[in-house]
Amino acid sequence: MSLALSLPEAAPPRSVRWPRWPVALLLPALLLAAWQIASQRGWIAPGILPAPGEVWLTLRELWESGDLASHAAWSMGRVVQGFLLGAAGGLLLGTAMALSPRFEAYVRPSFLAIAQVPVIGWVPLLMLPLGIEEVLKLVILTKAALVPVTLNTRDGLRAVPQRWVEVALAFRYSRAQLLRHVVLPAAVPPVFTGLRYGLTSCWKALVAVELLASSEGLGYLLVWGRQMFQMDLVIAGILVIAAIGFAFDAVLARIEARLQRWRAA
Amino acid sequence: MTLQQDRSGWLTARGVGKRFAIAGREVRALAGLDLDIASGEFIAILGASGCGKSTLLRLFAGLETPDEGEVRHAGARISGPSLARGIVFQEHRLFPWLTVAQNVEAALLNAPGSKPAKRQTATELIALVGLSGFEGAYPHQLSGGMAQRAAIARGLVNRPDTLLLDEPFGALDALTRAHLQRELRRIWQRQRTTTLLVTHDVDEALLLGERVVVMTPRPGRIARIFALPPELPRDHADPDFARLRGKILATLDAGPAVPAAGLTEHAA
Repeated sequence: MSLALSLPEAAPPRSVRWPRWPVALLLPALLLAAWQIASQRGWIAPGILPAPGEVWLTLRELWESGDLASHAAWSMGRVVQGFLLGAAGGLLLGTAMALSPRFEAYVRPSFLAIAQVPVIGWVPLLMLPLGIEEVLKLVILTKAALVPVTLNTRDGLRAVPQRWVEVALAFRYSRAQLLRHVVLPAAVPPVFTGLRYGLTSCWKALVAVELLASSEGLGYLLVWGRQMFQMDLVIAGILVIAAIGFAFDAVLARIEARLQRWRAA
Repeated sequence: MTLQQDRSGWLTARGVGKRFAIAGREVRALAGLDLDIASGEFIAILGASGCGKSTLLRLFAGLETPDEGEVRHAGARISGPSLARGIVFQEHRLFPWLTVAQNVEAALLNAPGSKPAKRQTATELIALVGLSGFEGAYPHQLSGGMAQRAAIARGLVNRPDTLLLDEPFGALDALTRAHLQRELRRIWQRQRTTTLLVTHDVDEALLLGERVVVMTPRPGRIARIFALPPELPRDHADPDFARLRGKILATLDAGPAVPAAGLTEHAA
């Protein structure tokens, strides 16, 4: 920006931006305070909602015993595998749909119909042929990532503005040049939106699958805690799941910003 | 005038008609249009919005094909875009993911020459439009006027023999517009690239054009062509300038009532 600011013709400076993270922490801090007060005054039975301090202790124990790391590693490993497969498939499928109207005519309606059934809806059906082990989870997670990545990739590639396509035509770009130099760079933002949705939906599906059928992973931690009536464990698990999901999304957002340095700040 | 006639027929339209379907209704954008542009000439096409002037430019660019008649460039029928005809649109249409230099070089993708040679050419054109020092800037860092300069550099970088400008200053503020109009005239005087400028601004047409083609809508056709005297001062305060301006405005207002007169003058 400093470059443009020194110019007589340049755009006016943007208004000063305050860092946003302190504001973002306000709501969690209020909730935490309400939770603390509610448990101190005994408004809620500790068996249903344990005090924040107790959950914190549980978290520390989980961390020190290594249980947390091992469960989180299982979950993250599954998500990374499922996401990579689903995202790769989604990028290919979405690109094929965007480029070939014929392929799209054959595939898209069925794809949309399959996409309408939530991830969990497939579990009872898939359990019979696939069992309840890792293959089932991988298939479910792949599907969870595949759907948003496919749809956003397809829409992003299709929505490249005609005004840029005309520029490419005026400079006699071939179809391959148009794709490589115009369509793909222009589609980076929507494709990344799809990838971020895909990863989020993968992570959510993972916890659901682990709740149903698993003997390790963060979802399993929740089930086990409930069965043992250890609500502190359940809440600790939820917090870890939220934190990891948040971190996943933040990493992708970072990569996205890096790929789009040309965008207005 | 003799010189101009010798160079005539560089860009031609013969009996050109073009129809569009808009909301299910057929609209005749152009009908029976003839035009002859000489090599090295600066011609301004003037008309209200919807008179088909942009369609005419897009036909010359090869971005549209005529439904009737034909358009030719250097004798050859225009069937698609060519690097010999540069184009600048109303919006700058720079690729936002490329820097100024990369945007200008993007126009050279299918041009002959080595990569360093292309970079050199791009640098020269960026200097020509007064953007030296901003080669590495992204479009969002530029003001509207600077972005349009970059677009002009991109339109000229293939050293086209013909430059097509579709209301290139329409979206700019008055000061920037006046400045860029002078710059464009300077560039044309130096390079003598055949230039076709589409505009709805009478003053712009009079400031820049050697001839002003006035078009009227429904269907788009040429109402009259004004050849400006070479000695005409390009100055709003000049009485001759003001008189011509009045005549052109009257032609625009009169609409399709005077095409016969226009055609005679054109033929003569």
